[in-house]
Amino acid sequence: MRYFLKRFGFMALTVFAVCALTFFLMNAIPGGTAELILKHTFVGLEESATEEQLNQISSRYNLDDPLYIQFFRWVKAAVTGEGIGTSYVFRKPVLYLLALRLPATIQLAGASMAIAVLAGVSLGIYSALRENRISDHILRVATLFGVSMPCFWVALLLILVFSLKLKLVPVAGYGSLENLFLPAAALSLHSMAAVMRVTRTSMLETLGQEYIRFAKAKGLPLRKIISRHALKNAMLPVVTVIGFQMGNLLGGTIVIEKIFAWPGIGSLLVDSISARDLPVVQGCVLAIVSMFLLVNFLVDMLYTHLDPRIRYG
Amino acid sequence: MNLLEIRELSVEFPAGEGSVKAVSRVSFDIREGETFGIIGESGSGKSVVGLALLRLLPANARVSGNICFAGKELFFLKPSELRKIRGKRISLMPQNPAGALNPALKNGLQIGEVFERRGIEKKEGMKKALGLMKKLFLQDPEKLCGLYPNQLSGGMRQRLIAAMSLSFEPELLIADEPTKGLDPEARAGAVELFTKIKNEYGKTMLLITHDLDLAHEVCDRIAVMYAGEIVELDEASKILHSPGHPYTKGLIRAHPRNGLVPLSGQSPSRIKLPEGCFFHERCRHAAVECSRRHPEIQNHKGGRIRCHLQFLQ
Repeated sequence: MRYFLKRFGFMALTVFAVCALTFFLMNAIPGGTAELILKHTFVGLEESATEEQLNQISSRYNLDDPLYIQFFRWVKAAVTGEGIGTSYVFRKPVLYLLALRLPATIQLAGASMAIAVLAGVSLGIYSALRENRISDHILRVATLFGVSMPCFWVALLLILVFSLKLKLVPVAGYGSLENLFLPAAALSLHSMAAVMRVTRTSMLETLGQEYIRFAKAKGLPLRKIISRHALKNAMLPVVTVIGFQMGNLLGGTIVIEKIFAWPGIGSLLVDSISARDLPVVQGCVLAIVSMFLLVNFLVDMLYTHLDPRIRYG
Repeated sequence: MNLLEIRELSVEFPAGEGSVKAVSRVSFDIREGETFGIIGESGSGKSVVGLALLRLLPANARVSGNICFAGKELFFLKPSELRKIRGKRISLMPQNPAGALNPALKNGLQIGEVFERRGIEKKEGMKKALGLMKKLFLQDPEKLCGLYPNQLSGGMRQRLIAAMSLSFEPELLIADEPTKGLDPEARAGAVELFTKIKNEYGKTMLLITHDLDLAHEVCDRIAVMYAGEIVELDEASKILHSPGHPYTKGLIRAHPRNGLVPLSGQSPSRIKLPEGCFFHERCRHAAVECSRRHPEIQNHKGGRIRCHLQFLQ
């Protein structure tokens, strides 16, 4: 129990630190916030924003207060459950916007993660069992491409081949399973390759263990040895990598959502940064960090299930 | 009647440009019902012989020779036929009980799986396993089944492994260094255990050990291995009381009870074996002949010995 308190304490601290960093960094970008808000909310006001209009905006959002007071006010509202600000651009609570956009991102990241884990783990096991044969070499070269190709480039290649040439799926959009196919594939490739490599290595190491040899000596069929004796032990490092890859995936959604016009928090984040819609940026970062921390917490809980020798306390 | 006949068994492991000759042209028979011991220092190749019997050597091992078990050539068996022999007709008690038990699986599953797919109901198999565990001095076996291996003591793990190996009352039991790394109390327990196995089950046993006392207490015949070869083979009492080979003599003198006189020098490199007798560099009686010609194993006074000196005198 003490472990969990400590763990949640650290998670809260991480969230706070990331929010503070985001807030002060966003404000450190040159160019007045009020001016940018005006330009974004009123069309045709490019160079002619008057002093009066600027003052009006500044006082509406308390932009003239010192930064630390602004931040303190934000934290207070967040902690007391009042909300985490109102969008300058959309004039809507940030929580409302996140609730609108989050399901799309969870759908995309979840689908990518599922592809990465399922394909990565099974190909990794296959590769380990075929160690140093042709199929193993081919897969290893393929993973090298997988980890080295940036996801936006993969996305463009996929669009070119599957949408424009083969006309199998739509170029972009959101709503149906067809739309999910390309962005999920582009996003998952990198993680899949990473998961596959670590699965292969870990599986090979586990297969060299004495208890595997003893399981063979007991007369168990190879399939049972892999599924019962090797897999559980080999999964420990794989699960760790999956946790890390979650961060990679969430970072990737920002680019991928933009390319495929996917209405998730990634594209919301990019739009808000260029509009200097600070509360929304703050909210998106908060959501992404929380998801990452949550997944890694679940990963740590999985450890105790995989290896009974690991106990938290 | 010979249960097992090993002819010219050689095992090499590729290492860089050469290869490590782990076992060189080993031949011996094990008669039905006898306990056959292989003794020798660490690295003499004795465990490799045990693993070769069940075809458990790593894939890169180059094995040659014949092993005939109850009229069957083991090296020609199909994997499915081999599985029927492993654990059922020949079983192995591995060297290191801690490493041979899978840390991620409960003891009960690991002992119960021996009966899987072998025409024995799960419940009946478990009942049999529990009975065996009780017989092998394991108290409260039901409780042990619910625990993980890391929650057992070293002696308990060994008994658990023994119970697994005896599940089917195998025709041949291979015990690989059963007393290695045990404290004196657990060692005494192991000796008691083996005497019990021998007396109650009357099984044919291959005991691989460097523990001369254990060999003395349970073995009928003993083969002494040095640098991958059998150098002497005879009745246990003759080997231990009136050894013929200078290496066997040295081994016995090195025993604490006999004065703890260490053998000088080191065993030769197995990548490049010396010319002549493999032992001549460490032999106090070495003659000129010993460094020139490699001795063949020959019948001598009812046993077999590989030494020029016996015949020069």
